[in-house]
Amino acid sequence: MPPLVRTLASVLVFALLATAFPIPAPAADDVKIALVAPLSGRWARQGQLKKMGAEMAIEEINSQGGIKALGGAKIVLREADAGDSVEKAVSAAQRVLTREKISAGIGSWLSSFTLGVTEVAERLQVPWLTLSYADSITERGFKYTFQTSPVSSLQAEQALDLVTDLAKKNNRPIKKAAIVGDNTAATVFFFKPLREKLLAAKGIELVVDEVWTPPLADATAIVQKLRATQPDIMFYGGTNFPDSIQVLQKVKEFGVKTPIQGVGAWLVTPEYVKTLGKEALDNIQTVVAAHPLKGQDELVKKFKQRTGEPFMTQDPLCTYAHVWLIKEAIELAKSADPKAIRDALAKIDISSGPAASAFYPSRVKFDERGRRVGATPLIVQWQDGEPFTVVPTAVATRPIAWHK
Amino acid sequence: MALAELVQYVATGLLVGGVYALMSIGLALIFGVMRVVNFAQGDFMMLGMYLTYFYAVSGSIDPLLGAVLTIPPFFALGWLVHRGLLARVTGGGDPQRQMDAQLILTLGLSLVITNATTMILTPTPRGIRTAYATQAFVLGPVLLNQARSYAFVMALVLAVAVYVFLTRTDAGKALRAAADDPEAAAYQGIDVRAMHALAFGTGIALVAAAGGLLATYYPIEPTVAGNFIVLMFVAVVLGGLGSIPGAFVGGLVIGLVQSLTLLVLPFQLQNTGVFIAFLLVLYLRPQGLFGRRARTV
Amino acid sequence: MPSRSRGWLAIAAVVAAGGVLTLVIDERYHHRVLTLVFLWAAMGLAWNIISGYAGQISFGHQVFFGIGAYVTVLLVVKLGLTPWIGMIVAVAVAVLAAVLIGLPTFRLAGIYFGLATLAYPLIFRIVMDWLGYQEVALPMKREHQAWFMQFTEPRSFDLLALGVLAGTLVLSRVIETSRLGYRLRAIRENEQAAEAMGVDAFRGKMAAYMLSAAPAAVVGAVYIHAILFIVTPEAVFGLLVISQTLVVCLVGGTGTLWGPLIGAAIMVPVSEVLDATVGDRLPGIQGVVYGAALVLFMMYAPEGVYWRLRQALHRRRDAPAARSPIAVAPVDETTAARPTATVLLDVRGVSKSFIGLQALSDVGFEVREREILGVIGPNGAGKTTLFNVLNGFLTADRGEVRFLGEAVTGQRPSALCRRGLGRTFQVVRTFPRLTVLENVMVGAFVRERAVGRAQAAARVALSRVGVADRAGLLPSSLTTLELRLMELARCLATSPKLVLLDEPLAGLSADGVDIMIGMIRRVRADGVTVVIIEHTMQALLRLADRLIVLDQGRRLAEGAPGQVTRDPAVIEAYLGKRWLARMGSPAC
Repeated sequence: MPPLVRTLASVLVFALLATAFPIPAPAADDVKIALVAPLSGRWARQGQLKKMGAEMAIEEINSQGGIKALGGAKIVLREADAGDSVEKAVSAAQRVLTREKISAGIGSWLSSFTLGVTEVAERLQVPWLTLSYADSITERGFKYTFQTSPVSSLQAEQALDLVTDLAKKNNRPIKKAAIVGDNTAATVFFFKPLREKLLAAKGIELVVDEVWTPPLADATAIVQKLRATQPDIMFYGGTNFPDSIQVLQKVKEFGVKTPIQGVGAWLVTPEYVKTLGKEALDNIQTVVAAHPLKGQDELVKKFKQRTGEPFMTQDPLCTYAHVWLIKEAIELAKSADPKAIRDALAKIDISSGPAASAFYPSRVKFDERGRRVGATPLIVQWQDGEPFTVVPTAVATRPIAWHK
Repeated sequence: MALAELVQYVATGLLVGGVYALMSIGLALIFGVMRVVNFAQGDFMMLGMYLTYFYAVSGSIDPLLGAVLTIPPFFALGWLVHRGLLARVTGGGDPQRQMDAQLILTLGLSLVITNATTMILTPTPRGIRTAYATQAFVLGPVLLNQARSYAFVMALVLAVAVYVFLTRTDAGKALRAAADDPEAAAYQGIDVRAMHALAFGTGIALVAAAGGLLATYYPIEPTVAGNFIVLMFVAVVLGGLGSIPGAFVGGLVIGLVQSLTLLVLPFQLQNTGVFIAFLLVLYLRPQGLFGRRARTV
Repeated sequence: MPSRSRGWLAIAAVVAAGGVLTLVIDERYHHRVLTLVFLWAAMGLAWNIISGYAGQISFGHQVFFGIGAYVTVLLVVKLGLTPWIGMIVAVAVAVLAAVLIGLPTFRLAGIYFGLATLAYPLIFRIVMDWLGYQEVALPMKREHQAWFMQFTEPRSFDLLALGVLAGTLVLSRVIETSRLGYRLRAIRENEQAAEAMGVDAFRGKMAAYMLSAAPAAVVGAVYIHAILFIVTPEAVFGLLVISQTLVVCLVGGTGTLWGPLIGAAIMVPVSEVLDATVGDRLPGIQGVVYGAALVLFMMYAPEGVYWRLRQALHRRRDAPAARSPIAVAPVDETTAARPTATVLLDVRGVSKSFIGLQALSDVGFEVREREILGVIGPNGAGKTTLFNVLNGFLTADRGEVRFLGEAVTGQRPSALCRRGLGRTFQVVRTFPRLTVLENVMVGAFVRERAVGRAQAAARVALSRVGVADRAGLLPSSLTTLELRLMELARCLATSPKLVLLDEPLAGLSADGVDIMIGMIRRVRADGVTVVIIEHTMQALLRLADRLIVLDQGRRLAEGAPGQVTRDPAVIEAYLGKRWLARMGSPAC
């Protein structure tokens, strides 16, 4: 057989064999939840963290008797790899939502992926939960998209209030601020209102405004400016890990003492400690949508045991909560039908249980756009090589250590 | 703009450019001798970063030394890859078709390497913690990051070593002969196939070493190649295809342009400065800075 | 022509098959895969026009894809303009971009060109991020869905994509079978020979580029509406798009419209199957397998599946046809043209230097109508350089050349060819992947527009030189003599008034030399002026009416052959001072 035909044959055979992989056949009445997240490629780490959270919730629910309203039906996770491109993410969503009857879905971490995936979910009328911050996700008049995180522009407003209050309380009022970050969507949505009105409204001067397109070649120019102007706070949005490391290393190198206020949960991964060391991270804060709160020690312990991760962060926590939230919605709807679940989510209002207590304030109710009513961001701070919720104090797991 | 600030921008640009330069030499060597567009070059660099990380973590070997220690194993790896894969597609036949085929072959190789690494080593970013990554040499008002400075010096040393090898040794001259005119070289008794393997092995070893140097201050992930591959190609073409000093200068120029662009354009447009400069150079000198003008008729 | 209509039938069959698949396929996700196959095939076909047919490998074709996507979507978002019209605007913008990009960039060649084209989409990508268009979502239109290209029925997207594919197939086929197609392939095979045969390479490339930009923009627009629903700079201007395009074309085969079709039909489903089966269960493995598949394809079918299959299938049919010996009809001296006094080519004081070398110094002479003028001189005398200046490949530093009364300087070789100045080369420059007939047709296209007439003219030219029965062969199967005759035929097909023949006798046997000389006499007898460079005196003594001797870039002597060969300066140049001294006064 000529080599070419041999090659084609082997590829074909392999592909066919692959389709013959035994899929564990779910019981007919199992409820299927889709998770579309990057499981390979550039953002695989984040997707895998989400999956860990989802799996933990599913195991809990199933071991506690499944979904009561459906006679103890178990939940089954259907994950689909969003890969590293919008095309793959949307393909994954299409695939998973049309292959079987999916009751609801979660994903997809990157706001561009989420935008694409929710377009599919909207067209196929499957309710979708996301932890993405970008305002645009719930500005499209969609009925099937539900965003549990406070949106970036709101986070900007609330975070600024929190931070200026804290600074005043600690006798270090903020007069000069810096904006440093990349131009990814969530970051842009956060910085825009800051730059355009919020800072001015508080009489704060914007002395450094440096936004880059990833990847960042070198942080010297930025940090030089910080050193020259000595702002009282730096709002920081370096979502890409290598870029962020460069900035933080440079900050240490130049001896810049400006307090750093991150924007997003990307700043609280274990890799930061391993790469920068505890001391360099100490007291760096960031605004997030969710983080383990006071009273969630059991949950965190369980997560650490299951996964070996040193701590639990927003991604697994939110995904865990999302699965529980879907469960609550199914209980409310008494049906696994996606439309019924969507209606249940639209009118749900719960303030207790694993679904609600992962968020702050612990209430889940969605407005007509699909945004969680009253959603407020948290501030998480690195202390001794671990990130702790510090603000609001009511749910803090450690007191805040304001910058010296 | 104070002079000190300007000097800082230039210094920063050169330091960044030094590592780009080393990355690019490997690519230039491979292209110059074999006419292969190696899309997987960045991925070999990534593997070099991981090996350096491994040396640091398990043997407490400083990455500057670790980078040099990546050279022998990656030379061997390059030789094997050439033997097993590229040798079948190069040599004989229509050169244009060959270049196209190699492009896709190396693209496929890149996918295999990146994805296999993601699966085996997990996508969790890793970093080597060195004291000198966050320290600077102070020259008056100018701060030179220590890690980048060491990397720059090492890059220079390796580049000079390659240059000496190519110009002073017999093997190096044979390599250049095979690059210039494979047919004539063959008539001179030079084993062109072995020269290709030598060039590929050296090119891979160089980029792995560059990765090791990069790892002194840059985090390591399976997809890190994506941040540099385009810049590498731009440096090689800017410098003039087939010219090793050209690629080195090309890398330095890119680092400089990246830095100096910040004086003229908003930060977000930093890399457009590089691409615009690249296009301008090619329009004024279609063969690149050090390239040779092809005879027309 | 049977083969031409067969091509159209095949295209119709493919489109029909696509339609059948659209109707037959049930699952929504499978429709998506089908749509992707159609779209990537169309994108591959678009790329193929500039990079396959014209041979200018572009790594930046996604710039048009991205322009198509962004312009269409932004018009929907900002102005509420229907994408059906928005697409037309996008195509116009893309074609304009092709002109603006092509103008400076076509001066580059090879990988310089390829990488330079990559710079543009990468610049766009950064600029779009900077302008705030990181994520532009298509506003969902729940009413007037069709007006906004937002269908609920997945088959509609399949048909839309199939329509785009069909349009691009038709465009490709029209180009392939038109004069432009032949010219593009000539440019690809040997740009300089093409120029010498009257093909304006710049215009050809530009035409191809514009024609390839339009479908790419359409594909980009449809891609957003059918596949992505949002636009990000990375998704449309990034490397993924060009990677996919390259994979589709290089696996399938470039330079033919079947290549991208085959490539897309294989690689897109393979990729999706891998994602759908193993990818979700063992993330990352699909990349490994896909990459391995690419490696294997390139190792075993580097020219592409289409060409490989064709090679395998045609091998059996290529029985070498019997070749009749080449005969030259003798020249009828009574009706043959004779030299006149009209000056066709006037060379005055031409000098040309390269770095460190004065190739030509103050060379001047005239070429009269219908004469055979020989240019001789030892190696390195500057003969070929002289031809390159006369022909337009080089510009003289000083001096002037006038052809038919008009100055030659600043004109492209193709323009001169069209005015009647033909040229052959010292080493035969063929278009290797075109048949002998197609080679000559390229020349014929200078005078004929229609493919059929050019073909007829080419056959006539081939018969004139006696190699008509080699028409279907590839140049690689020709002997040196046949090659030279083919090149001569190609040159004659351009209906020149004057031809510059650069060492047409090199590499020929004694018989071959005789045949060639006879052919050249015929050429002059038919009214064409000949200027011929030759190395050996013998041949020119038989052929030339007048001789010009060059040595080290200078005109050493001029005159009738007998006279020139007795000139001591000439003898010294060829044989050296000592020989001259030893001979004393020359005998013959």
